[in-house]
Amino acid sequence: MTGRANSIIIVGGGASGVVLAAHLLKSTNPDLRVTLIEKRPHFGQGIAYSTLLSAHVLNVSAAGMSAYADDPGNFWRWLLERGFATPEQAPVYAPRSIYARYLGELLDDLEAREKQTGRLRLVREESLSITPTASGVEVALANGTSVVAHLAVLATGHDEEPAQGHAIRMGSEADTALDPDRSVMVLGTGLSMVDAFLALEQRGHRGDIIAVSRRGLLPSPHRKGNPIKLDVADIPLGTQLSYFVGWFRDLIKENQKAGIDWRDVVDGLRPFNQKIWQNWPASAKRRFVEHTKAWWDIHRHRMAPEVYARVTEAVQSGRIRLVAGRVVDIAKGGEFTVQVQSRHTQRLETFEVARIYDCSGIVRDISTSSNSVVRSLVDRGLARPDPLRIGLDVSANCETIASDGAVSAKILAVGPLTRGTFFEIDAIPDIRVQCARLSKQLLG
Amino acid sequence: MLTKKGKYGLKALVHLARLPAGQLAFVNDVATGNNIPKKFLDAILGELRNAGFVQSRKGKDGGYRLARPADEIKVGHVVRVLDGPLAPIPCASRTQYQRCEDCDEATCQVRHLMLEVRQAIAEVLDQRSLAEMRDMVLDDLSVARDIDDLPVAMKVQA
Repeated sequence: MTGRANSIIIVGGGASGVVLAAHLLKSTNPDLRVTLIEKRPHFGQGIAYSTLLSAHVLNVSAAGMSAYADDPGNFWRWLLERGFATPEQAPVYAPRSIYARYLGELLDDLEAREKQTGRLRLVREESLSITPTASGVEVALANGTSVVAHLAVLATGHDEEPAQGHAIRMGSEADTALDPDRSVMVLGTGLSMVDAFLALEQRGHRGDIIAVSRRGLLPSPHRKGNPIKLDVADIPLGTQLSYFVGWFRDLIKENQKAGIDWRDVVDGLRPFNQKIWQNWPASAKRRFVEHTKAWWDIHRHRMAPEVYARVTEAVQSGRIRLVAGRVVDIAKGGEFTVQVQSRHTQRLETFEVARIYDCSGIVRDISTSSNSVVRSLVDRGLARPDPLRIGLDVSANCETIASDGAVSAKILAVGPLTRGTFFEIDAIPDIRVQCARLSKQLLG
Repeated sequence: MLTKKGKYGLKALVHLARLPAGQLAFVNDVATGNNIPKKFLDAILGELRNAGFVQSRKGKDGGYRLARPADEIKVGHVVRVLDGPLAPIPCASRTQYQRCEDCDEATCQVRHLMLEVRQAIAEVLDQRSLAEMRDMVLDDLSVARDIDDLPVAMKVQA
């Protein structure tokens, strides 16, 4: 237990920061002080939910997207109340911009409610660093001032690492106007590639899209179903990866024989994913990230059926070309000449493209994070990367761990930053549970 | 329920956990030292190797050792591999479910209670490591005649 703390700073006001604030403010403690700091002009709009494109829909149906762990229907009711959906439409994959509005309104309501109490303070400024003090923490802001509290929770979300080499991020400043008939290359074939395709379509781009990843795998579509019921007593924990994968394949086969869709098996495992991850030996975790994660992701992190239909149509028509291989060379003339080595034939293929978009979505190394707060914590040894360096090393109670192994009761973290410990902690259904638990831990 | 296979497997692992790190044990020594039929032990160790709990080396100096530190391997991990899903009665398992021919499961109070027992089994076995099992003090064990005397403090949440 971290003990009771009355004043809490949340660094990062994207989805996880807003969800955490909402859970903390459920407490009736009149002395509670929550300060939410966000560098962007709007709260609730991190990388995932800042898109304005209506084609960029949620990858989880509305029934699973409530901000509150104990009120799973909250978002669905909000959609119905505002006429964004009707009951017979379920499952609905709402535009992400609508979801950002939901989080924005939720925070507005909280702000209005807490106006008298002064329990919530919103700060629109970039955080630079967190420093532990005798009585708590001090968060330095880009405007030269600082905020103090008993403890700080990092909710900085997905890292915006600078794109590699000649590749650029879609929607960044470098993403200038483009000849609509030229070919472009996308590094990655996952959900971010799909987002890039949809954005290019929206802009009226007509050229070919060459999507390259190690395995060239496209995520699967959602389908209406009912996750199977599993129990922790059924699941082999703590084994080597191959043993677990064998068990899981057999489970899928048995269920398919009984007419059950594989999705219902994959989704049935979800409540236990963190437990499975935490019980694995380090070698199994490493192997999973290197070899199995790509396969797991395309089955586990699926897209809305409508989106899938558009993407597969584009793949069939040749508009999108999925290439399994790796980029071995990029030469820049007027355009880019990219050499890709095929995974299967080892042969080199050359592509002429006008632009290269980085949609690989891989955390390369958290210690080189683009987020100055995270980087400065690691640089000063106040926090350390997890063994796989995909996030910060945190305890099961979300406390960061310093380079000397000391667990900090003052600097905590939620969301994607904690994936080394919590594994699947990118999506709202998992983040809200983590936030609910942390709120209880901090405030009782 | 724990089968002989599960029991023998745990005994063999505790045997390996007593050795200095990295040292191999002969299968024969493990078998005679723990009163386990040799052939059965071979099969059990093979399964434990597939699951990544032990490593083996072939040849004259060959044998088995733990693949990971004894405090990392939980008893529940081992039992699931050797005996399948933890369940006190076949109708109280989801993946290895077997219907009882002689009762209606919807109204069967026994099954209902056994589902709770299943949770309790998982709670206990997933908390305790091979190292803890190895370090149980034998004097205490021999004195413990009754379940209340066990040196293990079991805290099970209902």
